[in-house]
Amino acid sequence: MIEIKDLSKVYQTKKGSVSGVDRVSLTIAEGNIFGIVGYSGAGKSSLIRCLNLLEKPTSGQIEVNGVDLTKLKGPQLRKARLKIGMIFQHFHLISQKTVAENIAFALRAAGTPRNEIEDRVTELLEMVSLADKKDVFPAQLSGGQKQRVGIARALANNPSVLLCDEATSALDPNTTLSILRLLKKINRELNITIVLITHEMNVVKEICDRMAIMQDGKVIEEGSVYDIFSNPQTPLAEEFIKSVVSFDIPEAILNECRGRILKVLFRGHVAGEGVITDTIQQFNIKGNFLHGSIEYIQERPLGIFLMEVQGNHKAINKAVSYMEERGAQVEVIRNGL
Amino acid sequence: MGFEFSRMIELMPEIWVAFGQTLYMIGISLAVAIILGLPLGVLLFVTDRGLFLENRIIQSSFGFVINMVRSIPFIILLVALIPLTDLIVGRTIGPAAASVSLSVAAIPFFARIVESALREIDKGVIEAAVAVGATPWMIIKDVLLPEAKTSIVQGVTLTIISLVAYSAMAGVVGGGGIGDLAIRFGYYRYDNTIMIVTVVILIILVQLIQQIGDWTSKAIDKR
Repeated sequence: MIEIKDLSKVYQTKKGSVSGVDRVSLTIAEGNIFGIVGYSGAGKSSLIRCLNLLEKPTSGQIEVNGVDLTKLKGPQLRKARLKIGMIFQHFHLISQKTVAENIAFALRAAGTPRNEIEDRVTELLEMVSLADKKDVFPAQLSGGQKQRVGIARALANNPSVLLCDEATSALDPNTTLSILRLLKKINRELNITIVLITHEMNVVKEICDRMAIMQDGKVIEEGSVYDIFSNPQTPLAEEFIKSVVSFDIPEAILNECRGRILKVLFRGHVAGEGVITDTIQQFNIKGNFLHGSIEYIQERPLGIFLMEVQGNHKAINKAVSYMEERGAQVEVIRNGL
Repeated sequence: MGFEFSRMIELMPEIWVAFGQTLYMIGISLAVAIILGLPLGVLLFVTDRGLFLENRIIQSSFGFVINMVRSIPFIILLVALIPLTDLIVGRTIGPAAASVSLSVAAIPFFARIVESALREIDKGVIEAAVAVGATPWMIIKDVLLPEAKTSIVQGVTLTIISLVAYSAMAGVVGGGGIGDLAIRFGYYRYDNTIMIVTVVILIILVQLIQQIGDWTSKAIDKR
């Protein structure tokens, strides 16, 4: 478990002090995949770098597995870092050492006996599906392969936490997906808590359990990914969600609509129960889909539909109440003409 | 008086001795520069701001001493260090004596080269090593030196070539060497044969060192 308490990081620059992280408190449960989203400059990078003290926080505490990292120095801090793996956007492998040597470096940092290193390196490379690249130098690897080596290095000493600093931002969409799948597998199989920062909402949607949204150094929204996707509380959260699930309808189409325009949102299995069909039949109204999709977040469906309904006002009102009774969330986008 | 082949043959033994002296002086001072300058350069780098052994006092005091030595013209250093030379080699003339001053000049020169070679390393790689929980010694040995090795080899090349040039002044304390021969015979006595031969030897020597240096740094680079 990671407990961040009232964490602040202030940078001293020539123009005065700049706040990077502003009184952030978060609790990240063991075994969770926690995503921190924000635009660049929001402070997410400073925050994740504080979690293994690559940046020294100005104030506040960081407890990882019950140990307050901010109180540690020298050898104790190094020992704590062995249990906190980290991967980076630009991989940061030692370019003059082979893949195996890069991983062995992490093992030697933990004082692993010489005769155990080779077996462990092989084991780690098998886990990230790179067993055949053992003696290759990083320059000969693709971005995705380099990140796999980074992951193997980060996992070398059986950490309880893995920090991902924009780990997929330099990769193409397909490679991103394969790295995310690998992270998820690691999380499930080894029960490693993963904290990742990203500006790509796709990444969060793909693998995170919970998320936080940062702006100006502060966490402005936090919750389960599903809840935030289905019910964002802040305009920024909405903006990020729109980057993945967008429901923009051309103005011309909207202008042609005569009836009432509803946004109907189904959470969980309700999405598949045919509520809309039932409603249309039962209340004798006409429904016309304008837009819609069912997104799967954390393997739970989230259905969002925009539809135009035509019929008498009473019937429409009843239909709306009926859908709400059946678990849908209905929002009137525009009243009928 | 132009170039005379017979004069060159006549002076061959002297040129040969001078060549040996040059190699001797460069060899000793290069060895000292690497043995002391390398750790010094690493120290300057790792104690700098934002690095894992940040220490303002050590950084600025060593930096100050290095700049001080480097600001003294070599010919003055050569004479100023006579007492130190006496203490170390027990005599104040000859190639061994000149090697002391050459070493003193080469240490800070090479240290700065190492420091700037280390500065070229991607900070992220160092950070990743810190994040992994590595000790400072491991980071120096397994990250800094391997990552900077190609630039350091180029730095060694540069140092050797500078030493070739500096060693020409070693004649002031009777150090001898090719450069000294050029000055004594070629310059003071207008002996063009010696002048041409020594300059040609120096040109070939420098070209050769540069070639070997470039080749080595390319051969060990795995990027």
